[in-house]
Amino acid sequence: MNGVLEIRLAPTELQSVCEALLRDGGRMQMAWAWFPPLGGIEVCYLATQSARQLFVLWRCNATDRTLPSLAGITPLLGWYEREITDLFGVRFEGHPEPHPLVLQEGVQPVKPPLDPTYPRDTAMPFKRQPARIPEVLGDDIQELPFGPVRADVVESAQFLFFYLGEHILHYQPRLFFKHRGMEKRFEGLEPALGVVLAERVSGVGSFAHALAYCQAVESACECTIPPRAAWLRTLLAEFERLYNHLHYFGHLADTTTLKVGSAEGKLLEEHVKQINARLCGSRFLRNLLRPGGLRHDVNVYTGLSEELQKLQHAISRYLGQLSRTSSYLDRLIDTGVLSRQVAFDQGATGPVERASGLDRDLRRDHPYAAYDAVELAVALREKGDANARAEVRAEEIGATIALLMRLLADVRDGAFCDSCPAIPNAEGIGWCESPRGALYYVVHLDEVGKLRRVKIKSPSFSNWRVFPYTVHDSNMMDYAINEASFGLTIAGCAR
Amino acid sequence: MSDVLLLITFSCWALACLLVLSSSTLKLARLLLAAGALMGVMIAVITLPGGMLPVQLPINVGGSPIIFALSPAALWLMGFGLAAALPACWLGTPGEGKGGWIAGAALSLLGALGVFGLQDSIAFLIAWEVMSLGGAVMILGGRNARGGGRRVLFMLSLLEVGSVALLFAFLLMGTQGINGFNFQDSAVSIAALAPWLQALVGVLLLIGFGAKLGILPFYEWFPAAYGAGSGVSGNLMSGVILNAAFFGLSRGLTHWLADTPVLFGLGVLLIVAGVMSAILAALYAFQEEDWRKLLSLSTAENAGIAVTALGAAALFRAQGQVELAGLAWVVAMLQLAAHTLAKGALFIAADGVFNATGSYLIAQRGLLRRSSWLFGIGAVFAGMSLAAMPPQAGFVSEWYIFQTLFQGFHLSSLAGRLVMALAGAGLALTVAISFATFVKVLGIGLQGQGDSQTTMIPRRISFATGILGMAVLALAVGMPWWLQTLDTASFQLFGMHVASAMHDGLILVPLTSSFAFISPTMLVIVCPLLALMAIALLIPARRFGVRRAAVWFGGLPRENHRVATTSLTFSNAMRTFYSFIYRPTLDVEHEHASQKYFLNRLHFNYRVAPIFGALLFLPITRLINSAAERLRALQSGHLNFYLALIGMILVLILILGSI
Amino acid sequence: MPLWTLFGLMRGTATTDWPFGQDDGQKNAIGMPSYHPEKCEAGCKECIAVCLPDALTLTHSDEARLQVDYGRCIACQMCVEVCPTGAMETSNDWAFAVHEREDLRWKQALRSPEAGELKSRVEGAFKRSLHIRHVDAGSCNGCESELQALNNPFYNLHRLGIFFTPSPRFADVLLVTGTVTYAMRDALLATYEAMPEPKWVMAMGTCAVSGGIARGGYSSGNGLEGVLPVDVYLPGCSPNPAAIIHALLMLLERAPQHVHNGQMDTSRHE
Repeated sequence: MNGVLEIRLAPTELQSVCEALLRDGGRMQMAWAWFPPLGGIEVCYLATQSARQLFVLWRCNATDRTLPSLAGITPLLGWYEREITDLFGVRFEGHPEPHPLVLQEGVQPVKPPLDPTYPRDTAMPFKRQPARIPEVLGDDIQELPFGPVRADVVESAQFLFFYLGEHILHYQPRLFFKHRGMEKRFEGLEPALGVVLAERVSGVGSFAHALAYCQAVESACECTIPPRAAWLRTLLAEFERLYNHLHYFGHLADTTTLKVGSAEGKLLEEHVKQINARLCGSRFLRNLLRPGGLRHDVNVYTGLSEELQKLQHAISRYLGQLSRTSSYLDRLIDTGVLSRQVAFDQGATGPVERASGLDRDLRRDHPYAAYDAVELAVALREKGDANARAEVRAEEIGATIALLMRLLADVRDGAFCDSCPAIPNAEGIGWCESPRGALYYVVHLDEVGKLRRVKIKSPSFSNWRVFPYTVHDSNMMDYAINEASFGLTIAGCAR
Repeated sequence: MSDVLLLITFSCWALACLLVLSSSTLKLARLLLAAGALMGVMIAVITLPGGMLPVQLPINVGGSPIIFALSPAALWLMGFGLAAALPACWLGTPGEGKGGWIAGAALSLLGALGVFGLQDSIAFLIAWEVMSLGGAVMILGGRNARGGGRRVLFMLSLLEVGSVALLFAFLLMGTQGINGFNFQDSAVSIAALAPWLQALVGVLLLIGFGAKLGILPFYEWFPAAYGAGSGVSGNLMSGVILNAAFFGLSRGLTHWLADTPVLFGLGVLLIVAGVMSAILAALYAFQEEDWRKLLSLSTAENAGIAVTALGAAALFRAQGQVELAGLAWVVAMLQLAAHTLAKGALFIAADGVFNATGSYLIAQRGLLRRSSWLFGIGAVFAGMSLAAMPPQAGFVSEWYIFQTLFQGFHLSSLAGRLVMALAGAGLALTVAISFATFVKVLGIGLQGQGDSQTTMIPRRISFATGILGMAVLALAVGMPWWLQTLDTASFQLFGMHVASAMHDGLILVPLTSSFAFISPTMLVIVCPLLALMAIALLIPARRFGVRRAAVWFGGLPRENHRVATTSLTFSNAMRTFYSFIYRPTLDVEHEHASQKYFLNRLHFNYRVAPIFGALLFLPITRLINSAAERLRALQSGHLNFYLALIGMILVLILILGSI
Repeated sequence: MPLWTLFGLMRGTATTDWPFGQDDGQKNAIGMPSYHPEKCEAGCKECIAVCLPDALTLTHSDEARLQVDYGRCIACQMCVEVCPTGAMETSNDWAFAVHEREDLRWKQALRSPEAGELKSRVEGAFKRSLHIRHVDAGSCNGCESELQALNNPFYNLHRLGIFFTPSPRFADVLLVTGTVTYAMRDALLATYEAMPEPKWVMAMGTCAVSGGIARGGYSSGNGLEGVLPVDVYLPGCSPNPAAIIHALLMLLERAPQHVHNGQMDTSRHE
């Protein structure tokens, strides 16, 4: 695979190599499986050693569909291994939580769904079974299965609370009601068409997903993009970050019942979405990217800089107002504290991990698009509470607008696209720092240059894994605020 | 006539006690027990309002004859107590140990009969002990819980403290000559004592009877002991036995100590003790999860309220407000009458819960929907009465108590007015907590959807609960007529026809209708008529078809019974708010696989700490244990040591005899 | 403590008058591609090859070569890019709500439909006060984002008397987004059951109309077809808030349907 340090391992070597990586200060990122054209199942593990160095890729053949589990060493791999078990049928020995994650209890597919020979467009037989929960002893405890249809306009997910009045003893989210099987839909597509699918995995992260996908294909097919395309990609990615962060503050103010604050945040988000539409015709920045550059040129209209300037004034005034509202701050300070250790062990990413003292940002550590030419200020906080997460995002808004102004002052002209012919059997990794954190796409092409396997690791998948550890032993009143302070999507997690 | 009935009652119970020795006659024993109770009720019915004439018993104690006489107050309390006990005796205890229970019940009832009627202090004490012992035999004989022995021992030891206090009180009264042991002359004997001795007698009587009534700190044996027995044991202990204890205290304060100068101080003491006990007992009752324990602490609370009313009577009398004193006393009687019937009904309901679910836990098992409507009516009426909801008898008595306390402004001393006002505030808190408690008992204890393991409540239990519940309503609705029966008693004790001044036609008034009034009798007629209006509004709505849909719960069906409100989550807010009293502890155990991130099992436990357990009983127990350790030296086993001891005692007797 | 009320008052009114005014907030927003059959070349299959949701299929009728099903169109504009003749053209037609599914399939218009020929489906009581229960049956959260935008100060759905409610018991309309995944199907049906009559259903977004780009497969459904009776179909990926407002007003018969036989009414073209 291009752009990574590749090592082939035997199943018995996995655990010791993982322990060595952690001892040397490295970090596991994700794991996925696929069916190589030559047969068998291969499980791949992605890790990072340090900033500005190549990713490390371990490849391991799952002989007899069994591998030793690494979840005991790196807890964050627990979810990846469960997903591989559900979708590929690979068993991980010694997994502390060997229960279905992505597929609901009671589903009976004729074969693992991501098997290329799975009958096309055949739904899985499903008869609902009770959710699998840890054994909770004590007659006095009440259970609240909240969802999947929740109050207000939100995504569907079910949250199981074990609580006593205000005190939450245990919390377990069930996030995969929305699992649409998007990764499977890439199979057999032309790489140029796959971007249309990637954009629609998570609506509010459309551009980030498309960008990571295109970079994965460009890495696999060893093509470069013209400078204007890199410039435009950076500009548009920051616009997406801007409206997402503004929506975050609108939603956070809503949960802390600051009505005017919520209205203002959402109004500012609307302004940015309307800018998006005026720039490219789509409020979500869709239908823009393709491997090799952009599908059409984006007309950065005159007056955009002034508009951004006015927006910046409004945003600073708004965020300043929020930071002086004691009722809002009271609800955020010391709520949902995420310790640095838990954030590291469970693989938190994005503003969530930066609020807990882990200094990582893909734009700075593994630059892509035009970020290597740009000096980026990365926000960092130590406390890990809801207020820290909000402050990190507030700082990021400031950094984003500053970056946008710099980019608009330094226009790159020229071609907006290069050709990117597909190379058979190519493999590549693309990544992007989406508004919610590190987003990875891995692309495996088959022998005719069509997509064989696309693996999507969205930041919401990582952060939802972390979230329950801030809810255990907290109270019900803080729950909604805590969830809003994480600012996650469910479609990105469930795909 | 009443003598004959008395003899029949006595012999029925004595025979029942003997017949348990053979298992084939158990049913006969149970029926005899019930028959005796029925006879007792008839005695009350026949001889009220005048009271029974004294009967001389053919036994002598200490050379003086024993007289048995049931005063109107005793008849009232005994009548209601036995009316509530009648269904309990007829039902018997669920589970095993029926014989032992019947023997214990017979002993308790015999003892209670003696406490109500015996006029000699030594015979009284014997009857008192028999009553306590009967209670212990009832609980242990019923064989309902493991570890019952320790709890019954705790109960007996606290009751012994009370008995010893009573013994000292009677000895003090008896220092005035042999007639001091006769209760009919006790007023005279006490009047001859020095004031501080009179006060001491009053305090000793409070401790003695308070041990049974549950005045602080004695209410702490209630949950332990009641929790080791069955529902019917609770019925008897909270009904006829409690009434007997209260009768003793009431006689002490309204008859024996009535004209002493210490009456004011005793009244204040009774009010303070009563209110504090009521508040603490109510708070702890609310946190209980077991039917028997919750109802037992509620009994202590109600007894505390009755003691407060008695204290108010003493206070009024000491300041010369005789009519108000009579009002307060009658109110205490009403409170206990309502309480006996309602509590009896709920204790029987608790047994029904045990039969249907196998435990006494207050949990949503869907019992109401599975049982006959009579059970529902009985339980709800009883619960309403204990929660002081109109138009039930409990509401009548609570209202009367507040009206009495509000009239404290008639008192001439500032201290008296202050005490009455604070008592009113304290009782308001108690009433609020007990309201929440009975919402919990009925709402969580009887409602819900239940699971497949729950069966129906047995029909005889439904019947018994229903009858008693409706008796509560009958008591409230018929209050203008019931009050007549206490007229003679109030005249005998206070010299005024207070009871007839407490109602004006069909409305109930606290002596004057210009102060306040209620009327359950009319409410019972008016409320259904009002309901008809609401029902009439519904009739035109019937033209819309009704479609039944499942309960909305987020789209998926609820998967287990865990979702329902539990007893603890209902009381959780109060537990947090009053945590300075409860000092609750929460205990959560997590069991993990490999790392702490992967949870396998969660184990949860909680406790509230009783106040007096750690403060008072534990140190005393430790003191006694250490004293016992030292006294073990007496059991040295050396014959010479024992001979020396005997010699020393002989010398002591010779010396004392010659003085 | 800053005075948020004062802050809000000083910001003034940010709400648009649309549909009574001109500013719908969708300047330059792209809608469904319009089809010009006269420009369509024989033997050309370029657009069919790039249409992922299979909205374009060949037909052998006299009217047109292509069967264009806007109920499946995700407005990705790939067909526009590859079309050599301009038969598929980008347009700003996003107000695509229809009552009948057939109206989303392109047909040569024979005559315009008579106004008033449809019986009123909605009782008068609901026209000025509507409560919506939204259910996400497996969307990408783009539709949720646009639905959440309806209550921001710019669109301010409340001024039209339309509200989102937390419980289906209070709801008049069930607004469904997403493809109806296997796991959400029973929850969706339970929500529909829990609503009292009279009730209506609106399929919002191409995923709910026909399954969109994620349809079929091992876990996705095909939208609401065959699951619930639908009163309004609104395709789009995702429909912008002005389109949603238009669809809701159309449901309440306060705005006319603009699309018939897969074509936007010419009188409306800006």
